[in-house]
Amino acid sequence: MKTMELHLTVNGKSLNWSISPGELLLDVLRRQGYFGVKRGCEKGECGACAILLDGKPINSCLMFAAQAEGRQILTIEGVADGGKLDPLQEAFLDHGAVQCGFCTGGMVLSAKALLDRRSDPSEEEVREALAGHLCRCTGYRKPVDAVLAAASRRKNRARRMKVAGEVAR
Amino acid sequence: MFDKVEAFYRPANVREALRLLQSGKGQARVVAGGTDVVVEGDDSVRFLIDITHAGLSYIRQRRAAWVIGATTTMAELEESELIHALAGGLLSRVARWCGSALVRNLATLGGNMANGSPAADMATPLLVLDAAVVMLDARGRRKLPLAEYLAGARTKRYSKSLLVEVVVPEPPDGKGCRWSFQKLGRTAVDISLVNVAAGLQLDFRGRVKWARIALGAVAPTPMRAAGAEQRMTGRVLDQALLAEIGAEVAREVSPISDARASAEYRREICSVLTRRALEECSAHAECSL
Repeated sequence: MKTMELHLTVNGKSLNWSISPGELLLDVLRRQGYFGVKRGCEKGECGACAILLDGKPINSCLMFAAQAEGRQILTIEGVADGGKLDPLQEAFLDHGAVQCGFCTGGMVLSAKALLDRRSDPSEEEVREALAGHLCRCTGYRKPVDAVLAAASRRKNRARRMKVAGEVAR
Repeated sequence: MFDKVEAFYRPANVREALRLLQSGKGQARVVAGGTDVVVEGDDSVRFLIDITHAGLSYIRQRRAAWVIGATTTMAELEESELIHALAGGLLSRVARWCGSALVRNLATLGGNMANGSPAADMATPLLVLDAAVVMLDARGRRKLPLAEYLAGARTKRYSKSLLVEVVVPEPPDGKGCRWSFQKLGRTAVDISLVNVAAGLQLDFRGRVKWARIALGAVAPTPMRAAGAEQRMTGRVLDQALLAEIGAEVAREVSPISDARASAEYRREICSVLTRRALEECSAHAECSL
């Protein structure tokens, strides 16, 4: 079996893996223990395998691992800051937007990419960002509410920090 | 899947990519976004050539034309100011229909054409815009009309060539040139059951000066409805003409029945979407129907 080297950054950690040239990124990530990246449809329909590649959400089942050379990857394992959940993850919990959890990691990552780009998205924009993620448990209402709540929470926090900054000055 | 792959290449320019493709003895496969190549899962592939580093991700205005590099992603088309300024942003709007945001961050314009699907969403607006593709092979670069390329995209004809870029000439200018894209799919991110693109230019009396209608997923390749276009030219676009054009388009297409829809249903939808497309064009052209 032919192998090749792959250098990439996953969740802030610089890594060096040995892969087969025809392997898919999804398979390599799971082999390396990133089980938050789920194996679903394996043809880009369900979004369970979503990761952020240089900050943009993609289906890891549609990409050859070798294409990740030199790239920055964020999986759901890297979203929380140590033991502290991301506000998006907290919002998913608060809104009961998690049931079996299979689709949740991907949804959180797509939502994170959206909020990083647009701090105040409309409901339509949230729905569009989540459109590539299939959920078979709770449906979509609760995840959409969770993302909108996280957006306004982030915004309020940013405003408080700005006010605090002005007071300090 | 892809167990036989011996080497994964990342050529830094098109010459190198072409050399690798030609030395692959038919067992090399070009890949960019991967959204079609991976799903197809061709087990015979022994060499993969990733062209996303070959300098083909660009959107430029060259003289009077718009030039789009083959590995430009759907997401890039959605956001490009240059593409927003072409045909009322038609290509940006259509790019947003090409699957989920996850897919659109990977899928490329060149891939959408090279895959040669009759349902390729970008094909119909590009046909309406009289687009051409630039191919590179051992003899050099050559430009050919998109329609001609699509007719052979699923054959072996271009197996030793590389699709380098898509060229869109400046559309007819003047007032009253309007564009529309209509798609019917099972869900917002599904493949088209039928898609229709239209371009329309009216003269000051509301008569059709120039018309383009292209339909997808209703023939072996995305197609122009040339008969319907001719029939419209020089006539006032009223309800009677819309009905006539709808019927003409339904005669011109040759849809098949498959898991998604029957041929009869697709034919009916061709009429409906063509009428909607023309109505949208004429509404924007501010002529009353």
